[in-house]
Amino acid sequence: MLGDIASVIVDGALISAVYALIAIGFTMVFGVGGVLNLAHGALIMAGAYTYLSLVSDSILASVTLHPIVAFPLTIVIVGLISYGLYVVLVRTIEENVVITFLATIVVAIAFTELVTLVFHAQPYQYSVVPGVLQVQALGTRILYVELAAFVASWGAMGLLWYYVTKTDSGRSIRATSMSERGAMLTGVDVSGVRARTWLVAGGLAGIAGVFLGGIGAAEPTMWLEPLALAFIIVVVGGIGSIKGSVAAAYIVGYLQTATGQFLGQSVRGIMSLVVLVVVLLVLPQGLYGTEFVHE
Amino acid sequence: MADPTSTPSDRSTAYTNGIGRRSFIRAAGASAALGLFAGCSGDGGGGGENPDRGGGISETVTIGHLAPLNNPLGIGSKRSAEMAVAEINDDGGIADQTVELVTKDTRASPSEARTVAGELVRQEEVDAIVGTFSSEVTQSIMDLVSEFNTPFLVTGSAAPSTVTEFVASDYERYKNTFRVGPVNSHFQAEVISQYASHLSDRHGWNTFAVVADDAEWTTVFRNRLVDLLREADLDVPMVNGLATDTTSFGSVLDDVDEVGADAMFRFFAHINGGPMAARWAEGEYEFGIEGVHVASMLPAYYQLTEGAAAYETTTQSGAAGVTDITSKTVPFTESYMEKYGDADDPPSKPMYMGFVTYDAIHVFKNAAERAGTVDQENNLDTIVDALLQTDFTGAAGQVQFYGADETYAHDLREKRDSDGIITNYPLTQWREGGSLECVYPEGLRTAEHAAPPWMG
Repeated sequence: MLGDIASVIVDGALISAVYALIAIGFTMVFGVGGVLNLAHGALIMAGAYTYLSLVSDSILASVTLHPIVAFPLTIVIVGLISYGLYVVLVRTIEENVVITFLATIVVAIAFTELVTLVFHAQPYQYSVVPGVLQVQALGTRILYVELAAFVASWGAMGLLWYYVTKTDSGRSIRATSMSERGAMLTGVDVSGVRARTWLVAGGLAGIAGVFLGGIGAAEPTMWLEPLALAFIIVVVGGIGSIKGSVAAAYIVGYLQTATGQFLGQSVRGIMSLVVLVVVLLVLPQGLYGTEFVHE
Repeated sequence: MADPTSTPSDRSTAYTNGIGRRSFIRAAGASAALGLFAGCSGDGGGGGENPDRGGGISETVTIGHLAPLNNPLGIGSKRSAEMAVAEINDDGGIADQTVELVTKDTRASPSEARTVAGELVRQEEVDAIVGTFSSEVTQSIMDLVSEFNTPFLVTGSAAPSTVTEFVASDYERYKNTFRVGPVNSHFQAEVISQYASHLSDRHGWNTFAVVADDAEWTTVFRNRLVDLLREADLDVPMVNGLATDTTSFGSVLDDVDEVGADAMFRFFAHINGGPMAARWAEGEYEFGIEGVHVASMLPAYYQLTEGAAAYETTTQSGAAGVTDITSKTVPFTESYMEKYGDADDPPSKPMYMGFVTYDAIHVFKNAAERAGTVDQENNLDTIVDALLQTDFTGAAGQVQFYGADETYAHDLREKRDSDGIITNYPLTQWREGGSLECVYPEGLRTAEHAAPPWMG
């Protein structure tokens, strides 16, 4: 029993960090542009497949990079895909919320089809950091890739924190998410802010994708569950709030892990839905959200 | 039980696909052997209804094929169906008539399956349907195809309810349906329990954990299998269902470890157990991974898991063509690989549904020739009787069906050796380097089952 609790604490901490990374990107894009980006999951998948293509000789025989090179390159590529998605598609339609919402669904589905076409419906596994840590006392084994995911996620969140609190460029993102009109009046280039936000969100999704694929496998449906979780986390944490996303990611991650451990793996997803309903009823603005104000 | 028309199948050991092989003499011989057919369709029956049929005018027999083409299993099935049809046409077709194949994609969805099955029976007016991968899809189209009296040969799904709740419970309505393979999951559970006894004899493994997709098809493994194992004096300290979208396996493996299992029987069709195998191999967990795992049947699975698959086993009809289940198993597999081994799209081998579909088309050909008609609208009973007489040596094994009055009416009969061991549902094991060995049953074995080297 003690071992079970300890392993829930460890497992929950590891996976929640990745969830937080996904949710932060999702919530930033919504907070800044008001866009509910359902293609966010597709960006996660892009991270996994891009990394796979760069490191594995079975995809592109001529390209086999060392993980240390491939990892940052993947982040940049996925960030640029996300940026491109905004500049080419979303920017022209973002005034219409419904059309934007639908367009991002179409992008997600089209991307899934594309991946199926190119990589077929086979699950690819790849190694990011090989090896395993035996934790005899807890009766569990932790993969190095899970530790790496934890470290990289917190590293990325730290950098993001620094960026949005200490740099002008980052502060303008926060300003825009607080009040677009206020930001404009103080001379912030809102359009540029939005594009930067998509770039950053894409990079974060890329990191999450590399690790989710490394712990599990890269396959064309791998984005569905993370996207659904990001949804729940963002609502629970408060839409637009980075701090809220991190807190809610840990709540959802721990709930999932504990439910799986103590109530059975087949119901591990249910508790987070219960929390979602409770939050919507009791605390509709979420943990750290602000009430919507009509401007 | 001799089958007068199954002899031509013996020549199918030579699988050349050149069109030049079609010979008039062979066609003439076939049609002579099928005098019955000519007579019947000339006299009335099919001939009466359809003036094109009979009278020596060459016509086509159309076979519909349903499979999920977004899944390598479905593609393997499609290619195998094409190979079977090409062979039959090379040998003179079905009673002199050219066979045409129409494949439709079910996208693994019951509603899509109903749409495309409707196209097959209404627009294509097919003479038979083969295929369907999941039991949900199979059962969703049974009403429709039975309306049209279309013989339906199921080749992918294995839920016993397809026959017990349909064919056996309302025979007049569903007599058009047969299941050509694999053995239904009631018998699959028995195979696994017999295999567990084998593992006990070989390695002294007596404690087994059962972990399964939380889905209908695994119910029998979570109940009947557990009873069978306990009857055989084997311990089952853990039975666990996993959500079908499970992607994290740390706590499951820890739990299996904790209960002291010697092996874990996992039954995954929805869940991809590849990441679990990777964690198991990295962490050198002290138990074997055995059972049924659809992803593990992918010919590329060893590469896809970067070698983590080594030492895991799965059952699969056809045993991936690595052993001579019949004289046709290996030649068929080789001929498939020659054709598709280097294709861009997976799979590079037929996979289980491919073997069964290939056999099903030959089974239908033989039955149609025995019946002397493919006119199911008027002669379904004759065709059904002919199908029931089937005793066909296929690539996946001997095909015989349970009779109309039996519990598993129209279902593939399991084959047993003199000790009662079921032999037509073999297990394969991945080995270091990516080779695949058949490890069970004894008669088909290409290598003894190997325990993971890290187990003491």
